[in-house]
Amino acid sequence: MTTLKVGFISFAHGHAFSYLEGFRKLPHVVIAGIADAEKHRVEDVVQRYNIPYYADYRDLLRTDIDAVVICSENVHHAELTIAAAKAGKHVMCEKPLGISVSEMEAMIAACEEHHVQLMTAFPCRSLTAVVEAKEAVDRGDIGEIIAIKGTNRGSNPGGWFVDPALSGGGALLDHTVHVMDLMHWFTRSQVSEVYAYAATLFNEELQVDDTGMIHVTFENGVFGVLDTSWSRPKSFPTWGDVTMEIIGTKGVISVDSFAQSNELFSDEVGKGTWDYWGDNMDDVMVRSFVDALIEGETVPITGEDGLRSAQVALAGYQSLEAGQPVQL
Amino acid sequence: MKVAVIGCGSMGNVHAHAYAKMNDVELTAVCDIQMERAEALAERTGAVAYPSFEHMLAEAEFDVISITLPSYLHKEYTIRAAEAGKHVISEKPLALTLEDAQAMIECCDRQGVRLFVGHVVRFFPEYAQIKQVIDQGKIGRVAVVHTKRRGSHPGLASPWFKEADKSGGILFDLMIHDIDYLRWAVGEVKSVYAKSHTDQDLEFAFVTLQFENGAVANLEVCWGYPGSFHTGIEVAGSKGVVRNNSESSNSVRVRQISSDKPGQAPVVEVPKSPGAKSPYELELEHYIACIRTGDTAIVTAQDAYQAIEIAKAAADSAKTGKVVSLQASRVQEVTK
Repeated sequence: MTTLKVGFISFAHGHAFSYLEGFRKLPHVVIAGIADAEKHRVEDVVQRYNIPYYADYRDLLRTDIDAVVICSENVHHAELTIAAAKAGKHVMCEKPLGISVSEMEAMIAACEEHHVQLMTAFPCRSLTAVVEAKEAVDRGDIGEIIAIKGTNRGSNPGGWFVDPALSGGGALLDHTVHVMDLMHWFTRSQVSEVYAYAATLFNEELQVDDTGMIHVTFENGVFGVLDTSWSRPKSFPTWGDVTMEIIGTKGVISVDSFAQSNELFSDEVGKGTWDYWGDNMDDVMVRSFVDALIEGETVPITGEDGLRSAQVALAGYQSLEAGQPVQL
Repeated sequence: MKVAVIGCGSMGNVHAHAYAKMNDVELTAVCDIQMERAEALAERTGAVAYPSFEHMLAEAEFDVISITLPSYLHKEYTIRAAEAGKHVISEKPLALTLEDAQAMIECCDRQGVRLFVGHVVRFFPEYAQIKQVIDQGKIGRVAVVHTKRRGSHPGLASPWFKEADKSGGILFDLMIHDIDYLRWAVGEVKSVYAKSHTDQDLEFAFVTLQFENGAVANLEVCWGYPGSFHTGIEVAGSKGVVRNNSESSNSVRVRQISSDKPGQAPVVEVPKSPGAKSPYELELEHYIACIRTGDTAIVTAQDAYQAIEIAKAAADSAKTGKVVSLQASRVQEVTK
């Protein structure tokens, strides 16, 4: 396989635009089609880049593309991934992988059965700061990990994200999975217990939670806590953050993934902003997906990785219901 | 007003120097069973040094006593001072058990003396301003709060900090600052969940508090942190965010080349955030003023009791792995 033909199914999740740019930078990739029933979402890019458009994703899957990128609303991930697998297409699926454990298991099984790869889009693993921290942990720079405190604070994404029938959950689902994947990756262990609090406090009119705090305990004894809230106000200088404080027996690593930014004060913007200048994590992640497919290697972040992290968020909602920690 | 200090460790020094600077207060006596510590402090403050409480009580004149002893001794000396008719300013935590705290409060009430507790965070200008910003509604409804408080292990200098039955450990000694502050700034706590780790060199905890008003806070504390002492707080509400990090709000940094070979040796950096008066001076002046006027203090002994209740709930949660509901525990107390 010298050239990889990639299609996109749905631009409901805005990350699709950034992933598209990432693929376009790779010389051995052809963007062979974009499917989205809501044409207005993709009209601009299909015209600008002269990409074939499909109103029905099934027509795209009938073409000779090698892989698809799925950035639909969360509730459609399973249907689309399984259809792609049956059509023999590799899949890169936006996070969270699914909204129930059983559907995520079905997605993984379908991809296995049809011998295609399933990658969960966790671009935070491609953050240069995170990679550096992971290497430091693996070298033993801080001894053994004891605990991790993370934040993945953000802004209310609005749209279908706040419609539970399309998103399957609020901030706790949306923002647990990224850093939970990092915690799994760093600790090389599985979560055994979850305690979470979620509420709707920043915008009381929302139908989903916008406030989340989730504690996890791993099988190897490491414990973690993560703030998942959509808590950044409009006046905040940036959209949110991805941070980790990793406490080890011999030291501490602090990761502030988007700290590589300039402070910009512009009357045109009307507020001070943090202008990020670090590496583009989406580009790195997309390249890792393409490289794995071309080399015939396992994708770096699998469907199982996506399941493990989403499962923690789902257990968080169970804990909220129970008012106590729950076992996984 | 005449004041004495018992316990001439680091906090005793802070209290004594603060009193020595006050115009209308006379520091008459300082006391420590390590007489050389008392003498050193006496020399610098103009007080008289005593090797024991009995000695000091018999010979020195004082109306108020600062109890800056290791935490497990707060109860005994608070009660002895109160019974001698002295007003008491105890360092935090007030006590290591709710029973002891209650006994201290009741004894001071009975003896007609005031009891104050050194929950000094309420007197840090950055924290006082955050409380004000919340009260003014500038960040709307409080939703998610983070606090952190980290530094080297105090047990390296004073071994009693490593003995849980003497210091209460990091939850009672260090996190109690943020617990008290959040009760003041955010509201009453409904439930507590805690995870902690303790070994010879490192003690730390993550504690999540749910408040009656729906807000949630995660508090992080660490003893044995590889770096200088620092604190942080972020309060996110429906209309905004307010936060402070002590490391970035230092207004003075003195950097000294630390050896004869410039450019080769590490630099010693001492960051400072100086004010006309330190938070400890503001706190102690306020307590002295309350004794004079009879006013209720910004932080009361009852507040100190409730901070201990939350610290204990955190310790219980860390031990059992369960969420501890404070409403439930209050109901149990009543039905007993």
